[in-house]
Amino acid sequence: MTATVTRAGAERLTRQRPAPRQRRRFARLPAVYLLPAAAILIGFAVYPMFVLLRMSVSDVGPTNIVGEWDFIGLQNFAEVLSGSEVWQSALRTSLVAAVLLASNLVLGFLAASILAVGGRVTNLVLGIMVFVWALPPIVSGSVWKFLLDDSGAVNGLIGLVGVEPVSWLSSPSLALWAVAGVVAWASLPFSTLILRGGLLAIPAEVIEAAAIDGAGYWRTRFQIVLPLLRPTLWILAILTVLYAFKSFDFFYVLTKGGPGTATNTLPVQSYNSAFMNFEMSTGATVAVVSMLFVVLIAIPYVRSIRSEVSE
Amino acid sequence: MKNSARRTKAAIAIGAVALLPLTGCAISSNPSGDSDGKTTLTFWSYYQGAQKTWLEGQVSEFEDANPDIDINLVETVGDQQDQKLLASVATGTTPDLFINNIVVDFPTLVAGKVMADLTPYWEDYADSDQFPDGAVWQSDGKVYNLLPATNLLGMYYNEDILAEYGIEPPTTLSEMESALETVTADGTHEGLALSGAPSVEGAWLFAPQLLGEGVDYCNFEGSKVTAAFERLDAWSDAGYIPLSAATWDQNASWQQFVTGKYAFAFNGNWQLGNVADAGFSYGTAQYPAPDGGKSQVFPGGEGFAIGAQSENPDLAWKFLEEAILTPDASEKLFQSAGSIPIRADSADLPALADDEFVQPFVAAASDPATWPNNENTAEMQTALGKAVSAVISGQSTGEQGAESAISDIASAAEEGGGDC
Repeated sequence: MTATVTRAGAERLTRQRPAPRQRRRFARLPAVYLLPAAAILIGFAVYPMFVLLRMSVSDVGPTNIVGEWDFIGLQNFAEVLSGSEVWQSALRTSLVAAVLLASNLVLGFLAASILAVGGRVTNLVLGIMVFVWALPPIVSGSVWKFLLDDSGAVNGLIGLVGVEPVSWLSSPSLALWAVAGVVAWASLPFSTLILRGGLLAIPAEVIEAAAIDGAGYWRTRFQIVLPLLRPTLWILAILTVLYAFKSFDFFYVLTKGGPGTATNTLPVQSYNSAFMNFEMSTGATVAVVSMLFVVLIAIPYVRSIRSEVSE
Repeated sequence: MKNSARRTKAAIAIGAVALLPLTGCAISSNPSGDSDGKTTLTFWSYYQGAQKTWLEGQVSEFEDANPDIDINLVETVGDQQDQKLLASVATGTTPDLFINNIVVDFPTLVAGKVMADLTPYWEDYADSDQFPDGAVWQSDGKVYNLLPATNLLGMYYNEDILAEYGIEPPTTLSEMESALETVTADGTHEGLALSGAPSVEGAWLFAPQLLGEGVDYCNFEGSKVTAAFERLDAWSDAGYIPLSAATWDQNASWQQFVTGKYAFAFNGNWQLGNVADAGFSYGTAQYPAPDGGKSQVFPGGEGFAIGAQSENPDLAWKFLEEAILTPDASEKLFQSAGSIPIRADSADLPALADDEFVQPFVAAASDPATWPNNENTAEMQTALGKAVSAVISGQSTGEQGAESAISDIASAAEEGGGDC
């Protein structure tokens, strides 16, 4: 196919389309503007990650934290992975992730459904939730430590109905669940807000059409709303697992990994190794192992984000 | 094209400036040095409360006596100071002076080359003979750290509860067990408040049950260790020690004791200033001795050191000599924070001699146990603390607790060079 271009049209085209050299300059400019952000990202995220990886394959302790780090290959990984402690910590971290998934997805969905209806009460509850979410873990954790103490308010309340005091934080069989419960409480507002946003994005016509077709409330919830929320739920589930694998602050405040080793999760073990026992290499290795779990989970997250964008 | 190149260069320059802090060209917020003819010494301290007030007073007096020297007190977080000190060596910004927790920090900081060698100063110090060996912390024959006062563990008891049952303050662990059985029998009172946290604190509180029998971190094995853990297990099972002690730190256990519910508490002399506020009659005694052994505890407290990279080590030593190591400084520290002076010529201070509650701690200070000199001392203690916490909470039996403590302490000691 040939096209005849008039002189005027050609002039217009020439005016509209920049010269090739100018085009290249414009095309290059955005990359130039990205430089500071890229430099900061490299400095504050990529470089520390590189140091962490290097530490995990070196022999680093207090004597040589400043100075030469002897490369020892995968010896640290062999030592850490051959011991039972890291696997027990990984299991505890996975249990915490399971509790958070149940809380964030199930309770989050229920709370979001209730709060999807507007009104003063909804606004008040949302305000309280944002406040809870914004509270520093050190502060809310300290409050929970007092509440869950043997002589704390929680035991005082259940004592009113004749229940014996429960050792929430000092029983090896309960402590992990108690701390996981506190972490779930702290992360519930975030999941509720995310799911509420997803619910509000569902067109009202779809719900109305389901009602006209005779679908009841629960059938609409399970067969219409949930499938439409699936991408949001999927992303929330991945973020929840990531949060569980990096959750440290509440464990530090409430139990410091105790009683015994009952609440020693991967982040707690990594911190204790590096900063309490000054076994920098072991701490770094546990952190890398934890990071590998996170990477495995993050890959589907990135893929789902991409598919969301392409849709 | 030129404009574009200029913009590109500008952007690269901005990026480079953003990266500056990462290059090791750290900007020290508290440099020591000369300004206005004055020399500023930086002092890192995590002291709080009465101890902080004491240190500020000493600094103020020193500055008045030495107008050409300023002491810049930088407040740090206690359990993060080691990391900061180790990092300061890398960035060349070690403080001129700092305090450190001898119980945990000394081997790590010496190994990390944070501390300056004080041997020449110590050899020329006129009052060095006033200080016992336990106050002079050495490594490879060199002096690095000085302990002007010590903190030790002892036993506090609720005199009202003991009087109710006609019990004398126990002096041995067997007597302690009988007393605990008596006071907890009818469920009116609780037994013993102590820290059983899975950390150095839990280890610090439990260690005296073995020290008096000659068992410390350097020979931590055998039937005596197993027996001590089994006793702890039995006390926990019988309810003499509450389950929640498995996560209590020393402050939490103290708060429980001052409620008046507990007959006994194991805690330190730094609580002497607080026990007066308790709403009951109280007394103090030495930590009960193991049967057939003696009452012995580890010495604690803050060591004072000079930073390895201090530009003014002579002036830093001058501060230690004039403001920290004097009898007057020791007496003030005792009066404000209850720390036991360690100088020989402070033993007869009226403030100490007239205080019946401090006497058990003074007696403990006369025969303290010796800390291991191993860079993994902190790890050894954490291993013991974890085992103690596990036994109190019921996660492990006494036998399992002993086994894990023995094996973890041995491997930590070996990794730390094997020496003690």
